[in-house]
Amino acid sequence: MEIDKKAKYLVGNISKLNNFLKPFDPLIINFLDDFSKILRKESKNLSDLITLSFFCRRNNILKLKNKYFNNDHVSFGLGLLFHITPSNIPTNFAYSLIFGLLCGNSNIVKVPTKNFKEISVICETLNKTLSFKKYIKVKRMISIIRYTNNDELTKKLSLICDARLIWGGDKTISNIKKYESKSRNIDIPFSDRFSISLINTEKYLKLSNHSSNMLAKNFYNDTYVVDQNACSSPHLILWKGKSSNLAKKKFWTNLKKLVDENYNPPVISSVDNYSRLVSDLISKKNILTYRAFNRSLYVISLKKLSPNIELKKTKWGFFYECNIKDLNILKNITNKKLQTLTYFGFSKKYLKSFFQSNNFNGIDRIVPFGQALNIDLIWDGYDITKLLTRRIDIK
Amino acid sequence: MNYLANLLKYNAYSLKGNEKETYFKNKINSLTLFHFKKSAEYRNYLKGLNYKLKEKKNLKDIPFLPVRLFKEHKLISIKKEKIFKTLYSSGTSSLNLSKIFLDKYNALNQIKVLQKIFFNVVGNSRLPMLIVDKKPENIDRNNYNASIAAINGFSIFANEKIYLLDHKNEINYLVLKKFLKKNFKKKFLVFGLTSNIYLNLIEKLDKKKIKENSFINSVMIHGGGWKKIENRKLNKERFNYFLNKKIGIKKIINYYGLVEQIGSIFFECKCGYFIPSNFSDVLIRDANLDLCKKGEKGIVQLISLLPTSYPGHSILTEDIGEIVKKHNCKCYNTNDKRFLIHGRLKDAELRGCSDI
Repeated sequence: MEIDKKAKYLVGNISKLNNFLKPFDPLIINFLDDFSKILRKESKNLSDLITLSFFCRRNNILKLKNKYFNNDHVSFGLGLLFHITPSNIPTNFAYSLIFGLLCGNSNIVKVPTKNFKEISVICETLNKTLSFKKYIKVKRMISIIRYTNNDELTKKLSLICDARLIWGGDKTISNIKKYESKSRNIDIPFSDRFSISLINTEKYLKLSNHSSNMLAKNFYNDTYVVDQNACSSPHLILWKGKSSNLAKKKFWTNLKKLVDENYNPPVISSVDNYSRLVSDLISKKNILTYRAFNRSLYVISLKKLSPNIELKKTKWGFFYECNIKDLNILKNITNKKLQTLTYFGFSKKYLKSFFQSNNFNGIDRIVPFGQALNIDLIWDGYDITKLLTRRIDIK
Repeated sequence: MNYLANLLKYNAYSLKGNEKETYFKNKINSLTLFHFKKSAEYRNYLKGLNYKLKEKKNLKDIPFLPVRLFKEHKLISIKKEKIFKTLYSSGTSSLNLSKIFLDKYNALNQIKVLQKIFFNVVGNSRLPMLIVDKKPENIDRNNYNASIAAINGFSIFANEKIYLLDHKNEINYLVLKKFLKKNFKKKFLVFGLTSNIYLNLIEKLDKKKIKENSFINSVMIHGGGWKKIENRKLNKERFNYFLNKKIGIKKIINYYGLVEQIGSIFFECKCGYFIPSNFSDVLIRDANLDLCKKGEKGIVQLISLLPTSYPGHSILTEDIGEIVKKHNCKCYNTNDKRFLIHGRLKDAELRGCSDI
């Protein structure tokens, strides 16, 4: 297929894509392991590259295989995937690609126009790994391109793929959906979502200093590392239990220390955060009190949980908090836009039985503090390995 | 609020040093109290801050409204039936429009103060004016109202005005030639947004179609910033050089001001500085929103004595500026504060979920 001159190949070539495999094919597992090894050397101390490299290690992939691959089934990749990837998380495109490969598909990955260092390192590493002769077949499964304002190309690609993975929020999704696709094409849209946190105050106050610092660190990693701008970064913290004021004071003070030491966002973020505060004060609704710890840590205490809390999705370290007496109150705010609940001080068993016995129409992930950004083959409520494979039913 | 009538009797830069400081402290404190009483939204803001109205605050401790709040909220200090005019402005980066509500009193003060400051720079008489834009009725009102506001504001100082561009955005040479033929021997004004002037007079204008030295007696007034022509990698010096080289304009004056504070405008002096008049002051804040030292770059806060129908007397802009540390400038017969503008705060790094 001819590709417009406005588009630039970072890896591979669309016209050479023609391979598909079984899910978790040993070839792909070997490829990812080699990729991981090279990436670790090239990672230049970028923590998200180290995380990616870790994700691709044979051991981790085998764990995923154990969890998601059923040897009794006869299944294959769908064929050709078209990934439209977002600019809020620099490594997101790589995970999208890896999911496609693990499921046995060929992949066209459109990366964001912003020149993230991560993107160039990953693409160079992919090219290095693909240059091994043994991966000639994998070479026919990967193509990474960058382009803007090229509707014609998006149109062409939409017509040849078997599935579109559309990251980048509601606006991108409605834009991409305008382009016709094959009748059996599957769209997997990753839309605008919001996320919350839940803390058991009594358990929290029993933590040692070290553990409560660790918890703050985990929360920091869930939020500040991506400017609180990932869909899975919480912006609302729910406090359940006695002595919540004491718990809040300890938690935010610990967090402030980390922010002071580690976080240095652009100046515009100060204006964003202060404007947000003033806007909330002017609207006056539902605000009990607020605290501005520093330019990158604002906390607004809400009187009660009101619906449409997703409209308040924030970034740069701007949080809302509210006391709750009963988990059932989550019903007030749970809707299809609610993605991740990060928790502390509750057992997995308890949460499992609670969510099993309540039919909530939202919340797709419930994970401990520190795992908000850990992407998995079940994401946004989708079981990716099922969606990206074709199963032959043999009776 | 009758102090404005009084202040208008004097030269626009008559207040100096401690005298100005005390004057502003008094007036801005009373304006804060005034808007607290008149505007429910502003009242919510100050109450939320736990602001103590009874204490007279120093200028630096008076609350400021971030400029984008005028887009998100209706901020008004008069009864609806008193609204005489509403100004809309798109700013640069948002879909929402800024809304500024004026009653007759506030609108009139804007004109009086603008005139006072303008005449101080250009001289005390009305002049012919070439406006580097389309006629306001041809400008798309939804996204381009800042230029209409500027045109309307400045064109009252013209005794004759023409618009350089036709409805298709093309230079109307017929009208231009007629205007130049009539006026080139005397002083006339050329006015427009910085970007429009660059695109039309520097880039587009066909010099062969007009007589040489047609612009030699003109005074150019431009403002609005470089953002729309960012990719041309311009600065003031290059801009002025191009204009001088191409059409021989010698006197080029940049202005700086907000739609949210029309009237209390800043004209660049001969030394290249902006100087606050009797009607305005400027503070520069750092990332923590604390005051910067002289010579440090930071976020520009603008203070104006004019806003009475809306709470816009103290506004935090999204522009970067600095108070000049040392200068030998004696322009406008004052030694007081001078400042520079260094463009806009960079939009947040592209890390939005919806931006691919």
